[in-house]
Amino acid sequence: MKYSKTTPYFFILPMATGLLVFRLGPIIVAALASFTKWNIRTAPQFIGIGNYTEAINSEIFWLVVKNTIEYMVIFVPGVMLLALLLALLVNQKLRGIAFFRGIYFLPYITAMVAVAMVWNWIFATRFGILNFALTHYFHISNPPAWLADQRWALPALTIVAIWKESGFQMMVFLAGLQGIPTSLYEAAAIDGADKKQQFFKITFPLLSPVTFFVFINTLVIAFKTFDITYTMTGGGPNYASTTLVFYIYQNAFIYDRMGYATANAVLLLLIVGAITMFSFKMKERWVNYAL
Amino acid sequence: MKHHNLLLLTLVLVSLIASGCGGKQTATVAPPASTEKPATEETITLRYFMWDPEFSEKEQQMVDKFMAANPNIKVELEAVATPDYWTKLQAMSAAGNLPCVFSMSSGYVDQWISDGLLADIQSYVDRDIKPDDYFTGVFDVVRDKKSGHMHAFPFAFVETVLFYNQDAFDQAGVPYPTDGWTWDDFLSAAKKLTVDKDGDGTPEQYGFWFYGRYAHIESWVYQNDGRLLNKDKTRFDPDDNAVAALKFLNSLINEYGVAPKPKEMEGIRQQDVFPMGMSAMWVDGAWNINNVREVAGDKFHWAIAPIPRGPQATGDTAYGWPDSLAISANCAHPDEAWEFIKFITGPARTIDLTFGGKVPIYKPVALSDEFLERDKQPPNKDFLLSWADHTGPTSFTPGWGEWRGYADGAGLEGKLNSVFNGEEDLNTALSEAKEHANSVLERYYP
Repeated sequence: MKYSKTTPYFFILPMATGLLVFRLGPIIVAALASFTKWNIRTAPQFIGIGNYTEAINSEIFWLVVKNTIEYMVIFVPGVMLLALLLALLVNQKLRGIAFFRGIYFLPYITAMVAVAMVWNWIFATRFGILNFALTHYFHISNPPAWLADQRWALPALTIVAIWKESGFQMMVFLAGLQGIPTSLYEAAAIDGADKKQQFFKITFPLLSPVTFFVFINTLVIAFKTFDITYTMTGGGPNYASTTLVFYIYQNAFIYDRMGYATANAVLLLLIVGAITMFSFKMKERWVNYAL
Repeated sequence: MKHHNLLLLTLVLVSLIASGCGGKQTATVAPPASTEKPATEETITLRYFMWDPEFSEKEQQMVDKFMAANPNIKVELEAVATPDYWTKLQAMSAAGNLPCVFSMSSGYVDQWISDGLLADIQSYVDRDIKPDDYFTGVFDVVRDKKSGHMHAFPFAFVETVLFYNQDAFDQAGVPYPTDGWTWDDFLSAAKKLTVDKDGDGTPEQYGFWFYGRYAHIESWVYQNDGRLLNKDKTRFDPDDNAVAALKFLNSLINEYGVAPKPKEMEGIRQQDVFPMGMSAMWVDGAWNINNVREVAGDKFHWAIAPIPRGPQATGDTAYGWPDSLAISANCAHPDEAWEFIKFITGPARTIDLTFGGKVPIYKPVALSDEFLERDKQPPNKDFLLSWADHTGPTSFTPGWGEWRGYADGAGLEGKLNSVFNGEEDLNTALSEAKEHANSVLERYYP
């Protein structure tokens, strides 16, 4: 077939345009804005690296970074473990398994506002079902005020986030699991490998590209967390559940500090970029693409 | 062929970018076809941006009346709900495309004035407004702090009041709050109104309910003749009377147990605690009248009263502020914009256009019988009118949302909650709040 050399560019045009106009453009503008004092309403003033020095000297900024890392450290393994576990469970050939797959997927497609309402009720200090269970069945006399307590607000959010995200990553794992040829398991069984050996010698290595995808994916989602904070705690109490993207939103649109917010966004971009690059470097050690 | 493709590629790209950037420049000045009369005067168009879509239909009726009376002025009304209202307005401002007339809140007005975005309307006010016809007590909020000139015109105002559950008072045998109720009177009532019906150690009904929210705190500070800010409102510097008010509030929770710790009520909307009968008294803005009506229904009788007076009070100081209309500084037709504002803040703004407990700024409307809504609770809505005469200061500044904390559990609100939750002592919390608040205020007032 004959085609002009430029033809392929037409095919990538929609994607490339989108990337250039809606991704690269804003990133460049944000990078420039990060050197200004800008309240959106009036013209930005150039202030050099003022926003960056302010961020680095701000206690709140470092608290927010710490919160983001804490969230990530619980969220990423939490989602990966739960999703893998669910995927192994629903990978069985049982009657009505599709029903269970649907049920576990449901939280992912439920609107965050609805999820927040239900979980706010579960976590409610005095009338919440969680504290009711803790006091009545576990006889804990003074259960925490989950979302209003500086120690518990972030872990509580993380739990909800894991619950909500796992269903989707389960489907990804499930697709990976079903891509592993059954002949391998049959051969292993004949050779006398038990279930545990089969998992660690066959399933886990062959699933590693999928695991890596899920890992990077949840890592990025962890950094991007916003709606759950917005709907459940508003970042409180006293910034205890504020993570980076929420902090950027707050500064940009609530505190009228677009310059400072974009400086934080640039720092976030650097952090996410560095972690993603590191992960890609590390993947050669454990990700197995060849069958 | 190759060149042709490359050209096409570039064209598509350019048109995509252009359509992304240029979407704004539609429909600004097209004069309406209907007013093709012998145009002695040119027809001009004013854009009017308001924040209450719920009321936009009624607002439109008022706008229509204005246009009928002023055929040479066409007003285009657009309503967007907050907080999107502010995001959109900011974006319009950045694009130099502000509407001529728009709603302005007291929380943001200082910032917008100091950004130079609002027109000085003092000369219009001096020329056209008879002070006796308006509740002028709240006008100070919309003045430029330097020149003293008004930069927006209030259309309604709100105040904080004490809501109380009359049935609970009757059951406890406590007389209703009166003018000149002191903190001691309040405390002894609150003790009797705190009832643990099932004896499990946790009251089902508390005497009072509050947390670090501005409407809950400042009301008490002002009724003790206290101030949270210094005289020019450039620094956070609570005086002794203010600290005394905070101590008193803290004692209600952590000493007398007549109010719950804020964290105890987590999971319930703060404005539902009183109407659900979980507290017998509550201080918040009178705009909550609508919500109390809806949630409490006819389950109990309730009324409104002054905030109890602190020991340092020399008279009553109410905490109130207006909702206003502003003219953008670059509006091409400020005279017509002012005519419009004068019209819709005057007799034309009838009671049905004012939400719940908001009071119309124009006295003849506010003092009318309809305002009292005699068929609804509270039975003494006229209290709002007498309370308005005592309107005092506010704590609004540029950066207010950030240092005061509003819906984000941070700032002063967050720190006070830590105190009320028994996690931090008042002095430590105040010195931390001071450091944070002043770091914010220093950005606006170096």
